[in-house]
Amino acid sequence: MKATVNRIIEHSLIDGPGNRLVVFLQGCNLACNYCHNPETQRVCVDCGECVATCPAGALSLVDGRVVHDPGRCRSCDTCLKVCPHFSSPKYRLVDVNEVHARLLELQDFLDGVTVSGGECTLQHEFVAELFRRVKADTSLTTFIDTNGQMSQEALETLLPVTDGFMFDLKALDADKHTQLTGADNRVILENIARTSREGHLHEVRTVIVEGFTDDEAEITAIARLVKGLDGRTRLRLIPFRPNGVKTELARLPAFDRARYESLCLVAERELGGRVVRSR
Amino acid sequence: MDKVIELVKDRRLTYPQKRHELAAAAENSLPYLQVGRRVQELMDSGVLHDLGEGHAPYRPRYILPDYVKFIRQGSRHLDLPAPRDLYEAVNALLILYRNVPSVTGYPVYLGQIDDVLEGFIDTVSPAEAERLLRMFLVNIDRTLPDAFVHMNIGPRATAVGRLVLKLEGELKKAVPNLSLKFSEETPPEFARLAVTTALDTSKPYFVNHAELRRVFGGDDYGIASCYNSLKIGGGSFTLVRLNLKEAARGARDYDQFMADVLPEVVDAQAELINARIRFIVEEAGFFESSFLAQEGLIDRRKFTAMAGFFGLYEGVQAFSGGRRMGHDKGADEMALAIMGRAHDLVKMHKTAYGKVFGGLLGVHAQSGIDTDVDVTAGVRSRIGDEPALYDQIRLQSALQRHFDTGVNDIYIFEANARDNPDGVLRIVRGAMKNGMRIMALNTSDSELIRITGYLVKRCEVDRYFRGEPVREGTVKLGADSIKNNRTLERRVRAVREGDGQ
Repeated sequence: MKATVNRIIEHSLIDGPGNRLVVFLQGCNLACNYCHNPETQRVCVDCGECVATCPAGALSLVDGRVVHDPGRCRSCDTCLKVCPHFSSPKYRLVDVNEVHARLLELQDFLDGVTVSGGECTLQHEFVAELFRRVKADTSLTTFIDTNGQMSQEALETLLPVTDGFMFDLKALDADKHTQLTGADNRVILENIARTSREGHLHEVRTVIVEGFTDDEAEITAIARLVKGLDGRTRLRLIPFRPNGVKTELARLPAFDRARYESLCLVAERELGGRVVRSR
Repeated sequence: MDKVIELVKDRRLTYPQKRHELAAAAENSLPYLQVGRRVQELMDSGVLHDLGEGHAPYRPRYILPDYVKFIRQGSRHLDLPAPRDLYEAVNALLILYRNVPSVTGYPVYLGQIDDVLEGFIDTVSPAEAERLLRMFLVNIDRTLPDAFVHMNIGPRATAVGRLVLKLEGELKKAVPNLSLKFSEETPPEFARLAVTTALDTSKPYFVNHAELRRVFGGDDYGIASCYNSLKIGGGSFTLVRLNLKEAARGARDYDQFMADVLPEVVDAQAELINARIRFIVEEAGFFESSFLAQEGLIDRRKFTAMAGFFGLYEGVQAFSGGRRMGHDKGADEMALAIMGRAHDLVKMHKTAYGKVFGGLLGVHAQSGIDTDVDVTAGVRSRIGDEPALYDQIRLQSALQRHFDTGVNDIYIFEANARDNPDGVLRIVRGAMKNGMRIMALNTSDSELIRITGYLVKRCEVDRYFRGEPVREGTVKLGADSIKNNRTLERRVRAVREGDGQ
């Protein structure tokens, strides 16, 4: 079984508990204004716009398809910046055997594996198969980083093999959520509740963006929602940063640190030590 | 005598530093102890180096007194009865420390401090215990201002061990150096506290207790000075290092290096080591005049001597057409073969007067000195050319198996790794499982910088560069190392890295 993989990171201290290998899958079903890795959103349409811009000559058009040569690539990411389709010429099809084998090799150094994206649950059969195999022959934990916009089928497939879910909640206010992501949050809230009832909701994450999620009422509401969930669930508040953003929000400066700290305090009034701050 | 008057007039040295340097000048006004012509040639050409131990050695380089024994019996020479509570124990130790010789004049080993003090922890209230240990650590830093002064804790969690980690995390000083013996017996929360402290202060080292107890046939070893594993109640008479980069220059090719050159220079290394040992024992009569020996706190038979190696990285480059170990399978295999051969050659030599390791010399990865230029410490990767994290751990773990008297590798993380000590702990556990013997952690923004095996504070280095006298002698060494060895350019491990694509 294969998946479209944007990249695999073998050492991460910021994608769940402990040290983790992280698989970023290609493709997303939301289009958030402030997406930090917009190159993971869509599949490549082979338009070839990126080919001429590559300073390393690592890209070419072969029979109408964009081909990436990893041997030549200098990882300057020019192709990602110029892609008009929120995609990347660098993602590839990866077999579940390959990821599984690498996890076996590295298991001494790892607490677990996290699958992220894009929206990884769009390829939930692959994720479930990987997790089943990891559970069968290692003690590694399995985590999913999701925007929450997943089908019931995907969630039910993943729940039995996933130790922890990390859900984005872009906004609790339905209108703001639509403005930010292009979709309302009804399914996401249902999935958060369902995952929490199963005891697998590790973390809810909200990015604080000026003009959208930077008011006390919104943050209090989100904190109260988390408070009503399983006691293990943490709320991670992340200040907006313009890095990688491809929409009009790219012009927004990084969210003010002092205001960020004060909004964290607002959340902590509800949740105490369950709020996780970013440095 | 020019050197003497120069020292007398030096404005950058403190009084104790001046006195130490003057003693060294007196010793070095004597002719160098008797060695063969070949040894002298190899010293002159830089293949062998005695690390400036002196022309007429009158004490072992590293001494690890049996402090547990001292605390049980007191000392006749120091007129101290066996301590009865934590006050007396701390006072007795501070007195003894001032009377433990070494090559630097400061004690390089402060003891397995939890074994030494835990028995007294209930003789005072918890608050008093904390105050006493704080004063103890502050006293050590101010009266023994030398970052080779090394304390040990672990593998079990103790009240003393917890306090040392907590206080070191607060004091954030370069002195003392600190090691945690780490094993299955180390409770996870204690290990996590150690990682948290290490990400703040670069202390403690993580020492693979299972490995080293096997090497020493028991728990009675300590980590002294930079990171040297030696027998408690003994130590090392001397350390002579062999520069693999320079030695490689004397070889026609790799095969001749392995077959002829390396055996010949290791023979000379052993000859120099044993000449120095005999001088300490027979000429200087150290064990006849030392109260540590007379009172059974040290035993000549528990001493070894260290055959040190460095410049492996460049040695491999010389024979492989510039290939870089850590990045190339062939270079890795060559590195392992060279160290395996060096180890076996050293183990063909007896240690004069020493009975550790079956009476054979110890093998040591020498961590470089301030004046080294373009040659890499021990068996590490060149600074700035460290490979991917797991590749580095695996190669270093394999290389470290060849060293019984000290080896170490350094891992520097981005500052926000502090938010995830469990993840860093997992990496430490993985390294130990792969056979890593000693490793150091640090973060890129740390005020304390690990130079070779010792620590200096950034602000002290700045003071030294401004020409001000500095309290710690190691600051001068560290500052010059930073200038010559690009110490600040070590690869920093991002919180997310290692593209497996």
